[in-house]
Amino acid sequence: MMNKSTLITLCLLVFMGFFPLFVDSAWLAIGTTFLVFSVVALSQDIILGRAGVFHMGHAMFFGLGAYTTAILNVNFGLPILATLLPAVLIPMFFAFLLVAPIIHLRGDYLLVATIGFNIIFIQVLENDVFGLTGGPNGLFGIDVVKLFGYELSSQTHMYYMAFLLLGITLLIIRNLDRSKFGRAMFYIHKDEIAAQSMGINIRYFKLYAFILGAGIAGAAGSMFSIQYSAVSPEAFNVTQSIMFFTIVLVGGSASLPGILIGTFIMFVLPEMFREFETARYLVFGIAMILTMILRPRGIWPVRFGNIPSFLKKEVK
Amino acid sequence: MDIFLQQMVNGLTIGSLYALVALGYTMVYGVMRLINFAHGDLVAFSAFIGLSVYAQIFGESATSLGVIITVFALTALSVACVGVLLERLAYRPLRTAPRLSAVVSALGAGLVIQNSVMLIWGPNMKIFPSNLFPSTIWAVGGIVITFTQVMILGVSSVLMVGLYFFIHQTKIGTAIRAVAIDQDAAKLMGINVNRIIMIIFIIGSALGAVAGLFIGSYYRGITFDMGWMYGLNAFVAAIMGGIGNIPGAMLGGLLLGLFNAMITGYISTQWAETFTFVLLIAILVLRPTGILGETVAEKV
Repeated sequence: MMNKSTLITLCLLVFMGFFPLFVDSAWLAIGTTFLVFSVVALSQDIILGRAGVFHMGHAMFFGLGAYTTAILNVNFGLPILATLLPAVLIPMFFAFLLVAPIIHLRGDYLLVATIGFNIIFIQVLENDVFGLTGGPNGLFGIDVVKLFGYELSSQTHMYYMAFLLLGITLLIIRNLDRSKFGRAMFYIHKDEIAAQSMGINIRYFKLYAFILGAGIAGAAGSMFSIQYSAVSPEAFNVTQSIMFFTIVLVGGSASLPGILIGTFIMFVLPEMFREFETARYLVFGIAMILTMILRPRGIWPVRFGNIPSFLKKEVK
Repeated sequence: MDIFLQQMVNGLTIGSLYALVALGYTMVYGVMRLINFAHGDLVAFSAFIGLSVYAQIFGESATSLGVIITVFALTALSVACVGVLLERLAYRPLRTAPRLSAVVSALGAGLVIQNSVMLIWGPNMKIFPSNLFPSTIWAVGGIVITFTQVMILGVSSVLMVGLYFFIHQTKIGTAIRAVAIDQDAAKLMGINVNRIIMIIFIIGSALGAVAGLFIGSYYRGITFDMGWMYGLNAFVAAIMGGIGNIPGAMLGGLLLGLFNAMITGYISTQWAETFTFVLLIAILVLRPTGILGETVAEKV
């Protein structure tokens, strides 16, 4: 029943689970960031890699989640745990509201429209709409999570909360893969017109993927704001969106290890090489071009032919 | 009314700059179905190259028609070389790869150009020399028009009309249109597709270089990361007009420039970008392939 990639994923999860036991707090912070960004990258992958919707504004949904938690906690005094549900639902609501009218657009048009949403989002934050977002400085002083009287405030607590979030995300993706929705997305990605002729409602499933991805990104955003106990607009700008977009394609779309490797390369490596500050992005750009030339489908692409492997197995 | 006319002039100026850059996007897209995200950074790069060419060869004070033409020609030439290099190194190896791989490669190329500019010219804002163009100002009935604006409007109209005739009247232009419609069929008819794509990149980069120099002499301050903004606006213009469509890019550029000028003149500068994208999305909702875009049936 267990195939190679499940085994690798499990090994990785066990390693990640014990990671906080033998590192100092600086590494723990990097580890937490890695987990949070992995979740965002995985949710971007549901939209871009699995449903094949060209989407380059994902930092917006990440930011919506983060700002929902921050605004509800700082401005309205709600406890953190009470903000979690809105932080998932509000990005989902906006994903539906904004994307439903344009989901039928051709790929590149959708790409630039989603960039547009992200830019509008940043302008809304920076102009301090209704006095809620704190303008260019953002909001700070977000509470710690309190659970049954305990304060989950240490770096290790943060790490395990993010770890839990990643676990839930992986579970959702696993269930998605085995469900009707996952199969529909697979065929849409494979051949949109054929899928349509088979009676798959493309708009519905693409929108479904979009809303699901936005919700997961929102949860990650909430975790992000808890980790830093502050939010500011530049963490959610188009550059970040491009990062998430690139992670999926450099890592390998629809491939779990690919996305995790992509996140590692895009977010953890730069943290480790802070001393090459100035030339860093030059090297980054060259690496992006070289990766695409040498491995156009990503570093660790998914291996399935015309029929996905989880369907083949049931036939055997 | 004066404000309206003044903003009209400003808008047309910005609009023709957008249009020049948008042509680079739309031609590459039309032939290769690739969003050339590095084009905006190429425009920024050309402003810096132009600055260096002018300062190094002529010193900061020279001004004459010959100087202007030499600066423009040298800049266009060197930026066209970079454009060809870009295509050769970053895009040609990916021509048969999935479409989004080439987009990532383009984003990477943009990063490379942007950061090379930063490493060569430094991260701070550079001031473009003011005396490349004479500082003559005309006041026509309360509207102020600068020499630079007249140059921008004049040169870009000439270039755009020239490009239109080049694409529609010459043999190479016909070949370009053929490659845009079907690369394999064009190959069968004896067209050298690689050469056509090279020509596309030469023309697109040269137009971008002219735009970059104009942006430098119009706004004066140039920064290494300004390419993203101009690139994105020009790309939006290309999308509005219908990407892949050359008159569409010109129309989209002028429309966007006018719209931007009116928004900054009458409403606010803080929300300018928001209005740009709301306009874009409104156009896309009403006409999913842009204003002049044709509805093409998907090939099965």
